[in-house]
Amino acid sequence: MDAMIQLIHVSKYYNRRPALSDVSLEIEKGEFVLLMGPSGAGKTTLLRTLIGAEQPDEGQIFVQGRNVTKLKPSEVPYLRRKVGSVFQDFRLLPKKSVFDNVALPLIVQGASSQDIRRKVTEALRAVGIEHKNDHLPHNLSAGEQQRVCIARAIVNGPIVLLADEPTGNLDPERTTEIIDLFKLINARGTTVLVATHDPHVMAQVNRRVVVLERGALAPEQRVGV
Amino acid sequence: MRRLYYVLREAWANMRANRTTTVVAVLTTAFTLSCVGIFLLLYVNVRGAAGWLQDDIKILVYLEDRASREDVQDLEGKLRADRMVSALRYISKEEALTEFRAQFPSDSHLLEGLGDNPLPASFVVTLAPSFRSSDAVKRWAERVGGMGGVAKVDYNQEWIEALAWLVRSIELVAIGVGIILSAAAVTIIGNTIRLALFARREEIEILRLIGATRAFIRIPYFVEGAALGACGSALSLGILKAGFELFRQQISLTGRFSGIEQFVVFFPLSMCLALVGVGTALGFAGSFVSLRRFGEGRT
Repeated sequence: MDAMIQLIHVSKYYNRRPALSDVSLEIEKGEFVLLMGPSGAGKTTLLRTLIGAEQPDEGQIFVQGRNVTKLKPSEVPYLRRKVGSVFQDFRLLPKKSVFDNVALPLIVQGASSQDIRRKVTEALRAVGIEHKNDHLPHNLSAGEQQRVCIARAIVNGPIVLLADEPTGNLDPERTTEIIDLFKLINARGTTVLVATHDPHVMAQVNRRVVVLERGALAPEQRVGV
Repeated sequence: MRRLYYVLREAWANMRANRTTTVVAVLTTAFTLSCVGIFLLLYVNVRGAAGWLQDDIKILVYLEDRASREDVQDLEGKLRADRMVSALRYISKEEALTEFRAQFPSDSHLLEGLGDNPLPASFVVTLAPSFRSSDAVKRWAERVGGMGGVAKVDYNQEWIEALAWLVRSIELVAIGVGIILSAAAVTIIGNTIRLALFARREEIEILRLIGATRAFIRIPYFVEGAALGACGSALSLGILKAGFELFRQQISLTGRFSGIEQFVVFFPLSMCLALVGVGTALGFAGSFVSLRRFGEGRT
């Protein structure tokens, strides 16, 4: 199978303390991988290096065969258009409607109005929130806001979906719903990498688990399938 | 198209969201540019006045009493052939005496005791417009003063030089004040944009993470800066025009400078448009200064 994400001996230091220490990892196209580890283990740093938001001090990172560490700053936005991101704190624009929030990645790319309407409606339907498209984020529950965030991440059909503690602000019931949503997105062919410290998520996902401890990878374990 | 709409909408939303800052920025920019405008207006009017005063300046070429008729004709021929001379009028001794008596009737007895008419014949010369600078007039007077039959060349040298100095001084002050206050306008607008960037830093971070290019993120702020500059300069023109009309009304009411109000002019339309253009450019520069360090690197 083809590698969608490849990290080769990646290290990243903050004030000489390693956030990532000699991490080598390969995630294949269409895989669903859980990145587990306690807070401060380096999960967020790893995800940020994948979208060019952090530069590793050592090593190489490839996404769909493209060396992310060698990208010029002007090329980084184009990488991010292929990689959807979901955040623990949702990061929605508070003064824009659900529709406008989800439309943003398409507007940024210069999509036509018809395309925007069609794709945003599809994405909202996929996350089950199309009936709230004119609501403002603060009128939604935490679970609904996370669905909007996921809709925004998948609206332009990314090849990879990265999620950083996506269930951190959700109760167990909403957590299950969001994990099911990720499984659905993965089933449609998108490579999914979810960073979490929540063991309940691991139990629900039943897929490959990668564990980070103090910036270094622990020996891998595979749960379930 | 949708992107352009987004950019313009964001710029407008920025200005609405920070209404107080926007209004303060427009007012301070308007005030700053009005100060520059006062000097410009002064400069435009003094230069205009200098122009028509210089148009009115006549050079008197007095002839020697002993100059023969041929000498005078020869000199007249030379002056008429001179490309610097646009008009020439000969005043004979008799005409000079008649003009003197007409102009100073109560003093005409002063000439009685002198026997023969003491006034010399002369040529009254008007130079072509492109040769009316004080240097050109001075050089021309020196050249003609050395010609045969010429007793003296007289013109109001001090007056011309003082006027030229005044125009040059106002020009320099306008440039100096313009540079300093333009820098102030750039700083004011730059700070407004910096505040807007700070207020929307999370939104900007989100835009970056979803793949917005630097240009896409920055353009609304450039539009905002340019709009602030344009509004500020347009308002400053309004302030100047109001002040100008008030000034003109006042001088016509006092009566002391009666008639001068028709010679005092406001900026022509082309210059008004140019000033709004300059304001827009200053606003753009203010945004540029604030955005220069913003968003460097990869994140």
